[in-house]
Amino acid sequence: MTESTMLVRRPGAMLRRRRTEAAGWMFVSPALLLFLVFIAGPFAFAIVLALFKWDLLTDPQFIGFDNFAALFADPVLPQVLGNTFVFALASVVTHIVFGLLLAIAVNRVVSRTLNYFLRVAIFFPFLISWAAVSLLWKYVLDPTFGYVAQYGAVVGIDTPNFFTDPAWALPAIIVIDLWHTLGFTFIIMLAGLQTVPTELLEAARTDGANAWQTFWRVTLPLMSPTLFFATIITFIGAFQIFEPIQIITQGGPNDATKTIVMYLYERGFQAFDMGYAAAVAILVFVIVMGVTLLQFIGRRKWVHEA
Amino acid sequence: MHKRHKRFSRITGIIAAVAATSLALAGCSGGGSSGGAEGDPEKGALTFVYMGDADQQKAFNALFAEFNKQYPGIKLKAQGIPSGDWSVFSNTVATRLAGGQKIDIIQVATEGQRLFASKGVLEPLEPFIEQDQDYVDDYFADINPELVEFNEQFASGPDGETLFIPGGFNTMGLYLNKTVFEAAGVPIPEEGNWTWDEFEAAGTQIKEKTGAYLFGAGSGYFTDVMPWLTTNGASTFNDDWSEPTYDSPEAVESAEFVRKLVEEGLAPEPGGQFDAETQYKQGKLASIGGGRWPTIGMRNIDMVDDTVIVNFPTKTGNGSPVGWDAWNIAKKSENKQAAWTFIKFLMSQEAGEYFASIGGTIVPARTSVVESDAFTENAPAGSTRLSDAMAFATPIPSIDRGAEAQKAIQEAWETIITGNGDAADTLAKAQKTLEGLVE
Repeated sequence: MTESTMLVRRPGAMLRRRRTEAAGWMFVSPALLLFLVFIAGPFAFAIVLALFKWDLLTDPQFIGFDNFAALFADPVLPQVLGNTFVFALASVVTHIVFGLLLAIAVNRVVSRTLNYFLRVAIFFPFLISWAAVSLLWKYVLDPTFGYVAQYGAVVGIDTPNFFTDPAWALPAIIVIDLWHTLGFTFIIMLAGLQTVPTELLEAARTDGANAWQTFWRVTLPLMSPTLFFATIITFIGAFQIFEPIQIITQGGPNDATKTIVMYLYERGFQAFDMGYAAAVAILVFVIVMGVTLLQFIGRRKWVHEA
Repeated sequence: MHKRHKRFSRITGIIAAVAATSLALAGCSGGGSSGGAEGDPEKGALTFVYMGDADQQKAFNALFAEFNKQYPGIKLKAQGIPSGDWSVFSNTVATRLAGGQKIDIIQVATEGQRLFASKGVLEPLEPFIEQDQDYVDDYFADINPELVEFNEQFASGPDGETLFIPGGFNTMGLYLNKTVFEAAGVPIPEEGNWTWDEFEAAGTQIKEKTGAYLFGAGSGYFTDVMPWLTTNGASTFNDDWSEPTYDSPEAVESAEFVRKLVEEGLAPEPGGQFDAETQYKQGKLASIGGGRWPTIGMRNIDMVDDTVIVNFPTKTGNGSPVGWDAWNIAKKSENKQAAWTFIKFLMSQEAGEYFASIGGTIVPARTSVVESDAFTENAPAGSTRLSDAMAFATPIPSIDRGAEAQKAIQEAWETIITGNGDAADTLAKAQKTLEGLVE
């Protein structure tokens, strides 16, 4: 490019670039505004709040990093974090395994009507609000009048009192969460499954691979980006579980279902210690961010990238 | 080091300034200065918040429409908060205040009164009372004397100032299903009094003859824990709420008794979603505990005539918790005089009768209303026993950190009645938690 052509072409190119930039900002602005108002703003507010002692009704007092220091001395936090990690890990494993199995099964259904029906039926619970789902399961698992207890009695099984027995409460919440949220993972898996090129599957079959080998060597590697995405999304969602616990067990019995967000709510809105609750919120952010980063670092080892 | 310290102070200073600005923008600064008796008594906009589900809100709306008819210049915005229990209600209101919502009058029950009184967000009412001394005297002369005393003792401000005018109250009684009792051949207790042993024996006979459950065992602080404690001379805290007493031998005995009833199958295992009203209507449940509020349910399921209200069974003597609604004026209200006009309206005979006949969720404060048809018509026989229970009732202990205390009390009770913990050990552990909350 000669100097003269640069001189001739530059003003037009710059103008075009500026226009393109302006258009870009214009398109991005609604999302950016929402992000600033509903995510960045509250996040910054939470950081500031964590430096104060504030009970909602009287003036906040600046206490520096005391709330963060208190996190390390809090005797309740280890159990709360333990419960949360158990729930999140169980949630990730069950959602991915059952979501994938269901997606594979539904993907094989040839009848279009049945296929649509199954997709809707599996996805449907996800559309119901957590409040309704929680109450529904309180009925289903009622130790005296619930279906499970009633049918259990018919076949001679003495079912446990799921929500008041410390050994059963968290597993019960895990199952309820699976029932409610599985449809979401299922849809992601189904979409991922449909991106696997049929010619590759046919080629594998032509080469004599059986169904298991085709799945293991072709489908699964090509599904790995989907699995990676689902793992991250499920973990983040599970780590923030709150509604069913608040409605069904309130964190009991004996703190067996008290998760970190439930604890955050308790500290903020029952103990009126908003500063400490904000510090807990930041801890949740740091953990979720940390685990997500680890997942991203580990993805090179197992995620197939085209 | 000095430089670093200076920079650190500057940074923290900036952070503090940003925070103060943010918090001020959010309208969360509490306290504030008292504005005195402001505004026109018959003009202005008022926001009144109260606890109420959809059914209760419908009933309240009729009352508010009547107020608007009498005072067309006051624009009353009444907001029901369907909280389920009073500690959740208090938390919701506190959050709304912190979020900057302007609320002029808050209907607060005993479980939240100390919280609001201790935070300095309410206007002392003495100037308003002096303004209408005769009117207030007339009201106080007609309401239950215990209610006046309890309100003064437990709901005053830190310096003894009057912050609340008591409204209706609730004690606990038992709604008995006459059909079930008759079918089992168990007599309804005469004069409404019976003992724990008689209650248990009645339950055993009812179970044998009809298969029905005697009652529903739960862990609600007011509804399930306190009745069993107070009928055994126990409570969760001492008389002035300064020390917890939840691990007393009497409290342990109360919890063990309820567990025994559950074990014997006289109450369904707690922990699920027990639909008491349906079971009661179908004759599968012999009694429902409650104050005045189950009367609405009895009307809805057409069981008013098949029901009689009696006292809770006793171990050492009659007992019941009592909680009362009370009205106040927020310090930040810009229409305090109009708010006082509304409170005066709520204190009127007319409003009391409205509460009694339509609202149905509380025992009206005015004795004259309780003794009138407005309260006893279309209500189960024995309804006035709820008012008589004031004579032996214990104000439900509700310390400043009430929500946390309630959680500890309920969790321990549930652990025991579901058989997941020894009564003495579990209450001793809860006692430790409660001790930490009053320090």
